Amino acid sequence: MATLAEDRPRVGDRPAGTVRQRLGRDDLVMRGGLVLVAAWLGVAVVLPLWALLSKSVQDPDGRFVGLANFAAYAGTPALSSSIWNSVLVAAVSTVVCILLAFLFAYGLTRTCLPGKGLLKTVAQVPILAPSLLPAIALVYMFGNQGYAKNLLMGHSIYGPIGIVLGSVFWTFPHALIIITTALALSDARLYEAAAALRASRSRVFWTVTLPGARYGLISATFVVFTLVITDFGVPKVIGGQFNVLATDVYKQVVGQQNFQMGAVVGLVLLVPALLAFGVDRLVQRRQTALLSARAVPYTPKPDPLVDRVFLVVCALIAAAILVVLGTALFASLVTFWPYNLSFTLRNYDFDRMDGGGWESYRNSLTMASCTALFGTAVVFIGAWLVEKSRGFAQGRAVVHMLALLPLAVPGLVLGLGYIFFFNAPGNPLNFLYGSMAILVLCTIAHFYSVAHLTAVTALKQIDPEFETVSASLRVPFYRTFARVTLPVCLPAVLDIAMYLFVNAMTTVSAVVFLYAPSTTLAAIAVLNMDDAGDAAPAAAMAILIFATSAAVRLVYVLVTGRLLYRAQAWRRR
Amino acid sequence: MTRGSDGEAYLRIRGVTKRFGTFTALEAVDLDVHEGEFVAFLGPSGCGKTTLLRAISGLDVQSEGRIWQGGREISTLPVGERDFGIVFQSYALFPNLTIFDNVAYGLVAARRPKAEIRARVAELLQLVGLADQTAKYPAQLSGGQQQRVALARALALSPGLLLLDEPLSALDARVRARLRGEIRDLQRRLGITTIMVTHDQEEALTMADRIVVMNHGRIEQVGPPDQVYARPATAFVADFIGRMNFLPGRLLAANRAEVQGAGLAFAPPIELAPGAPVTVCLRPEDVVVRAVPETGPNVLAMQVGVMEFIGNHFQTTLHALGTSLNLSADLSINAVRDLGIAAGATIRVALPPERLRVFPQPPG
Repeated sequence: MATLAEDRPRVGDRPAGTVRQRLGRDDLVMRGGLVLVAAWLGVAVVLPLWALLSKSVQDPDGRFVGLANFAAYAGTPALSSSIWNSVLVAAVSTVVCILLAFLFAYGLTRTCLPGKGLLKTVAQVPILAPSLLPAIALVYMFGNQGYAKNLLMGHSIYGPIGIVLGSVFWTFPHALIIITTALALSDARLYEAAAALRASRSRVFWTVTLPGARYGLISATFVVFTLVITDFGVPKVIGGQFNVLATDVYKQVVGQQNFQMGAVVGLVLLVPALLAFGVDRLVQRRQTALLSARAVPYTPKPDPLVDRVFLVVCALIAAAILVVLGTALFASLVTFWPYNLSFTLRNYDFDRMDGGGWESYRNSLTMASCTALFGTAVVFIGAWLVEKSRGFAQGRAVVHMLALLPLAVPGLVLGLGYIFFFNAPGNPLNFLYGSMAILVLCTIAHFYSVAHLTAVTALKQIDPEFETVSASLRVPFYRTFARVTLPVCLPAVLDIAMYLFVNAMTTVSAVVFLYAPSTTLAAIAVLNMDDAGDAAPAAAMAILIFATSAAVRLVYVLVTGRLLYRAQAWRRR
Repeated sequence: MTRGSDGEAYLRIRGVTKRFGTFTALEAVDLDVHEGEFVAFLGPSGCGKTTLLRAISGLDVQSEGRIWQGGREISTLPVGERDFGIVFQSYALFPNLTIFDNVAYGLVAARRPKAEIRARVAELLQLVGLADQTAKYPAQLSGGQQQRVALARALALSPGLLLLDEPLSALDARVRARLRGEIRDLQRRLGITTIMVTHDQEEALTMADRIVVMNHGRIEQVGPPDQVYARPATAFVADFIGRMNFLPGRLLAANRAEVQGAGLAFAPPIELAPGAPVTVCLRPEDVVVRAVPETGPNVLAMQVGVMEFIGNHFQTTLHALGTSLNLSADLSINAVRDLGIAAGATIRVALPPERLRVFPQPPG
């Protein structure tokens, strides 16, 4: 009988000091990978931001001048008045957008209105188009020769009204996704309890529905506010003489080559974005805690009156989206608005126009494909290393933090940082400047965070012991990655690729500072053609971007439907 | 066990300590596990049993101390260079691979010939009784079947050590009881050295050759199930395994204690000065009611309290007349029937001295 007493260790068995586990080959490779991802995020995000920061405290010759640039900014009323303009426009847009999105989301999640699928699809339309598209369409609708000009009762669409309308259009789906999620996460038992206590409809709304969705509403509010205040496309096209921060940055840098002042305005833009980032993080933590695992999801019951009212509201919103899109489409297909409305494809003959022609469209396809391909690879591998490597907690935390940083950086600010960082003469990466590679690099960095979070969420859902089991079976990590982790996460991987592709197609803000004559992009061509007065071709190109995104989205839906059905037979019982 | 302690143990653990910041999860643990033995780590959550298993597997290496397996020191080896198979509570089967591919997973990576892999997988699935399920996916199997697949996968490379981390906790009671026996049989047949972590005493008592009872990062007792149950080494073990009466008392002599007005004899004697406070422990099922002599050591007249029918026995509280001693007792159905025991009746009861366990401290 072996007992403890007999098994007392012999002299010499006692250890001396702390035990450190020897690192296996897998551990070393994974840690090396983490260091590489950290380095890439350092180059793609941190160093450009640092360059921007240092530029704002230097004079044109690169001498340190402290806060002199900020003082000069505050002392130039033409510039500092933009802050107020930006805040005003963003606040109004946010209120309108959140209100509409809440009504729409409520209709989708809490009523039994018919045609939810169609409504949902239409509501996603704005995400597939560059923010320039609504601005151009609004000019056709409410501009000097607009068909609905009278609705404005003498006010001009060029200015705050136009910016608000255009901003609401393109931020609507962003708000809708967040609020729908918040409303969908509701506990039916709370409603049953309220009904049992004979609470009135409005009381249930104010005491159960709204509090339950409040974190989603707060989050959506900050997201929309930031999107609007940092957006450059809409005010550029329809802002007229109404200066906002985003157009100021562009004018200072591209127009006047005043990089220092551009950096200062960029930093001002960073403030609301950082604020929104902080609030969103805070809110997300609470939102998850709100719903216990035992909650029963709410399913709406038919109510003829409510269902009909919300059908009308949602249909009107959807119709407005389609009218804006349709106007752009129509304008792109007629000879000369509004005098000659005969059908033509001449506006799609981009090579006749300045702005890059069809070449820019091909460039966009290349750029979006590369972004989707390399971006998905980097994002997924990065997230996998953060989630699945053992030990090295600090390294993983650093990478995770760096991956979330782009969420707090508006595209304009990132693009500006890229100029300062990559165009610096001493930088060995200077050769990238003006190439397609820098556009891809910048776009991946710009949209990194959301993709990273998608990947992390997917990875968190798979059993944490897969890696352990594999190691105990002496299977190298890459084999488990390829045979198990990647196939199981395939839906998320395709989702990320789609997200990156569509955003790369439609983005303007970051790349507007970085394109070279040989690498103009379709969205930039829209901007330039509109600038040159070629509104119809600009609308045509915007429609083309929309059509491309929509087609990719369609392929994605088919692929996830078909391919996943076959590749993921294991999901079915 | 027949194995002597003269041979070198298969797994030797010496002075293993694990600290998380200022919290000490394991404190200087020493343990030997012999070849072919089935050892269960038993204890409440947070007692360090899982931490010890993770140190043995290399998933969370110990802060101090050394571990040898099969004569080879493994203290600092990475997981992949150790020699064990592991089964988790969550099964951790690869959901996108068939049962065959799951079991073959380690064999394929080891570049065994195809025919050999097929034969080995068939053999393993035969062993766990799932030979006809090779083409299915894990989601198509029940929890018990999935756990058997996980077991087959862990055994595929014929590891020297099998680690079971709460393997039955996710299953429902019936499946759990059946799988308990199956795993035990399998382990005996293969003769593989096995360590199981569990918080379920029944699991540990029925399956293990030896139980390691742990608490607060320390080993409280090591021994075969019957010994740990019958002769708990500490009050904690007595409390944790089975049900137990804890009776505060005072030592009268080396083999006699005064317990709430009743003088009780016990054996063997303990080495403590008379007058010292002690805790006297007695299992409810050790209360004797049949063939109790008129007089003798620990024979008491006791009044029966409320009788609770449990199914296969009665649970009741007995009060010793003329004292303030109360204790719970389990009475078998036939004893109750034969002796006509009913609530309120007074019966003669014996508390066998060799069944009383006496610990020096008052219960905590």
